[in-house]
Amino acid sequence: MAEASNSLRGKVAWITGSGRGMGRAHALLMAERGADLVVHDVLKDEAAATVEAVRKLGRRCIVSHADVRDVGAVQGLVATAQKELGPIDILVNNAGVGQHRPFEDISEADFDLMFGVHVKGTFFCTQAAVPTMKERRSGKIVNISSIWAMTGAGINKASHYCAAKTAILGLTKAWAKELAPWNIMVNAVSPGGVLTEMPIKTQGWDMIREKEKRVPLGRWARPEEVSYAVAFLASGEADFISGQQISPNGGETIVGI
Amino acid sequence: MGNLIGKVALITGSGDGMGRAHAVLMASRGADIVVNDIRRDAAEETARMVKALGRKAHVVACDVADTAAVRALAAEGIGTMGKVDILVNNAGFGQRAQLPEIVEKDFDRMMAVHVKGSFFLTQALIPAMKERRYGKIINISSIWGMTGAPVASHYCAAKAALLGFTKAWAKELAPWNIHVNAVAPGGVRSGGPIKLDNPEILRAKEEKVPLKRYCEPVEISYAVAYLASPEADFVTGQVISPNGGDTIVGF
Repeated sequence: MAEASNSLRGKVAWITGSGRGMGRAHALLMAERGADLVVHDVLKDEAAATVEAVRKLGRRCIVSHADVRDVGAVQGLVATAQKELGPIDILVNNAGVGQHRPFEDISEADFDLMFGVHVKGTFFCTQAAVPTMKERRSGKIVNISSIWAMTGAGINKASHYCAAKTAILGLTKAWAKELAPWNIMVNAVSPGGVLTEMPIKTQGWDMIREKEKRVPLGRWARPEEVSYAVAFLASGEADFISGQQISPNGGETIVGI
Repeated sequence: MGNLIGKVALITGSGDGMGRAHAVLMASRGADIVVNDIRRDAAEETARMVKALGRKAHVVACDVADTAAVRALAAEGIGTMGKVDILVNNAGFGQRAQLPEIVEKDFDRMMAVHVKGSFFLTQALIPAMKERRYGKIINISSIWGMTGAPVASHYCAAKAALLGFTKAWAKELAPWNIHVNAVAPGGVRSGGPIKLDNPEILRAKEEKVPLKRYCEPVEISYAVAYLASPEADFVTGQVISPNGGDTIVGF
């Protein structure tokens, strides 16, 4: 039987923040579809659990605990990955932090953390991955933004998070154009509500149930429902898609991005 | 990949080009297909391709601009296949005409095929989808529905109207778990542009795409098939634009 058009067999995928939540779901779906994985998370136990699950699926895997804000460590990760698994074909910039805070209460440390992990992390992870993608004239970068990048956060009050996720859309659009001559596709996935540990911890179930009622489809997503969009964009099926955004958000319309 | 096994897809304008590519890809993933086209011969050929993949196909030849015919199409599709899970509003045509040249007949036909056809076919299929609390509607818009173009303003407006339906229906039909999305292709090497542009013009246009090429019809089908699958059950009211890297802002 011919290889399925969405197969990731023979590809090396690097997923930042893949120790838990959506990042782990992306890793497992992509491993199921044949990719070898760079599992990357500052949380060691969580990363180890993802590694074990990926290996159970029969895929090759390395692990890194580098902080995405540490440019040197990230470059080291890429060198190791290349040696152990081969050049990186797919980068999913997924690592993130959530924080609910009114504007006046956001300290400089909060601000720096938010922009450090989301924006600086995405920027320098991508810069480290791009040279071999250019050489091979092939690459897929999927940046994880958020519906809040487009809508703002309303009652949750997280303007630093919203702005960091919007910056990721800026990078997506700019890189799509800048890297197109090397056949490198850059897209974003902007999830709406997803049932992962992060919102359960920061918002609590009562607030989540209340918010689910306001989603047109009446529910939040399972993490893998976001992974399907990521894996689609990472596959050969999306070779003509670049500079775009898919927002699995249960029916909110996005205007003016 | 068999993620459409057991599903029935009705695809308008599936006698050639992108519509046929959608039919063949969705059949290869397990869907049975109601093939609609204004040209019966072309529709029959697509049906043969679907059957060669081991799936069922049923042809209903009609003009989607004819509301009575479109209602009959919906009834015959459901009657023959037992249900329609997926509707792809794909039937359409291009016309490279500038504002002063677009006569009333051109305008009416453009709106009738793209807008009125999609509206009344969807209206006819919705009651059964609501009953089953499941459905996927994919409207084929165009990058020109978002960016405009220096020609074909009636086409641009008709394709923009499909985005309006997409957003409104996504909200209106969400309570019944019916998902409505749009695919807005950029340049595709299909019948339309090949007929409308000569090879040099086509080549020059490809040079202006960031990825420096137009795509094959199946590259649009991949986006349609993703949205039609259970993998996109949390995706509604959205637009995917396989366009080779052009950024869309403010749609």
